[in-house]
Amino acid sequence: MATVRTAIDDKVESAIKAPRVETLALICIQDVVVEYGQPGKAPKRILNGVNLDIHPGEFISIVGQTGCGKSTLLRLVLAEEMPAQGQVLVEGSPRTQPDRRCGYVPQKYSLFPDRTVLENITFGLEVTEIGLFGGFSPARRVRRQAFQSDAIGYLRRMGLRESDAAKYPHQLSGGMQQRVAIAQALIMRPKILLMDEAFSALDPGTRAGMQRLIKDLWRETGTTILFVTHNPREAVILATRVIALGRTGGEDAGADIVLNLSVSNANNEPETAALVRRVEQSTFPAGTDLDEASAPEL
Amino acid sequence: MSILQIHAQPSRTTVWILSWFLFATGVASYFWVSRGRHLDNPDDRVMPTLRQMSQAFSDATLKPAEDDEVAADAGQQSLLMKIRKSMLWKDTMATGRRFLISMGLLFPAVLLGLHMGMFPYVGSFFLRFVLFFDKIVALSLLPILFIAFGIDELAKVMLIVVGVAPTIVLDAFNLTRSVPKEQIVKGFTLGAGDFSVTYRIVLKQIWPRVLNSIRLNLKAVMLFLFAGEMIASQDGLAYRIALLRRHMGMDTIIPYVLWVALLLFLVDFGMRTLNRKLHPWFQEA
Repeated sequence: MATVRTAIDDKVESAIKAPRVETLALICIQDVVVEYGQPGKAPKRILNGVNLDIHPGEFISIVGQTGCGKSTLLRLVLAEEMPAQGQVLVEGSPRTQPDRRCGYVPQKYSLFPDRTVLENITFGLEVTEIGLFGGFSPARRVRRQAFQSDAIGYLRRMGLRESDAAKYPHQLSGGMQQRVAIAQALIMRPKILLMDEAFSALDPGTRAGMQRLIKDLWRETGTTILFVTHNPREAVILATRVIALGRTGGEDAGADIVLNLSVSNANNEPETAALVRRVEQSTFPAGTDLDEASAPEL
Repeated sequence: MSILQIHAQPSRTTVWILSWFLFATGVASYFWVSRGRHLDNPDDRVMPTLRQMSQAFSDATLKPAEDDEVAADAGQQSLLMKIRKSMLWKDTMATGRRFLISMGLLFPAVLLGLHMGMFPYVGSFFLRFVLFFDKIVALSLLPILFIAFGIDELAKVMLIVVGVAPTIVLDAFNLTRSVPKEQIVKGFTLGAGDFSVTYRIVLKQIWPRVLNSIRLNLKAVMLFLFAGEMIASQDGLAYRIALLRRHMGMDTIIPYVLWVALLLFLVDFGMRTLNRKLHPWFQEA
């Protein structure tokens, strides 16, 4: 079928081809292969030689079909998983286990159910500044009060009330829980924030609010964000760069990056729509019903 | 409306009547049969009357055991003093002491299960052994325990530990493994180390469930404790029941059995209340 090229398509094309300003990569993913195997069975390849550099301050969306390795890629950066081949470097060094350089907001179980909202937010500060057995000295009590006032500040910034501080996670809505989870991660001032389908369980209205919030926070803090979503529109609206994963070599070949698209220069709705179309074409094969993947407007 | 409907909603009064019906029927049946037996044979010892049991229980709570020496000023002692020197008090204290020591020894079992679930090397080292031990019928070890540890307190406490600890270890292990991976990863990203994650995240989350598990194993704890006391002991509730069996002392045995049931009910209620107070998030979540 013949396609009509528009000026927007040209702009998208130039955005893809535009040379990026090279700075020292914060995250360096080099020839990474991930395989899952069961005893007695041939291992299943999930990621096949993925290469990706992520620079400080970038907002990266990772999209792709279900099971294509989006969350696996995130877990590699988190060091929750190790590659079968290749390596993942953060600030130039390989990672061995998750640490506080990376904040993490998963889709589920993002908060500790046995702690109140305030205790959840201050947990990281308490554990790093006060330690396991040092919670009773007067000096530590003063520090703890400082943590709490810091946490209240974050709570307000997330649009939550001070009265929510004493609530337990199960007393909050899904959107409120994710706001607390973001506050819990950001109070530790991580260099990288990893969000694994963090908004996918939220209703469209709440989701749009959360998208606005995370974009504002990214602008304020300059934290590098890796945001996994299955929603092309959400990916384009939020990110400066969209990484699409897909299997080009068949089901058993494992996924690789099929699109590495800078989206930061989309200034209006037609440009955004064109970029979304581009992401959809790369991510989903022709004939896929994309209704479910449509995101709410920001 | 049929009573066998899933959506049936009995009134509060109906629920109250239904829930007490079997108790009332059981008590009424006992005394009806007991009365019949006593009409046939006034010296019947198998089913004592309420008056006989009240008298025996009163003696048990106010008089020392037959094998104890009676103090010279026994008649002038206060009620509290009489109770504290009574057979029931002495037996309850002896059983209670063993019970508390055994419960205390179950705490390391929780910690072992926790570490087995968190640290793969510890898990690999202990899991197979604990699984094997869990399958051994503890009562079959009783002779070995008596030979190895003598017939003193240690053998009885060890019987409880051997009988219940593997279950608690495996329960704590499974509960630890069921904590979502996200929570553990989250702990690391917030700066926690291995032991902070283990104690401040995982142990805190599984603790109310572990308490529940221990509560549900109370009956097993008492079973092993009673077995030990009945076979080799000089005091304790089970020792007294076994001793009175030889004399067909049903007027004391039945109140003793009800006393044990009441104590277990109170311990169960206490643990449930404590769990609810200590972990308000747990019941509601």
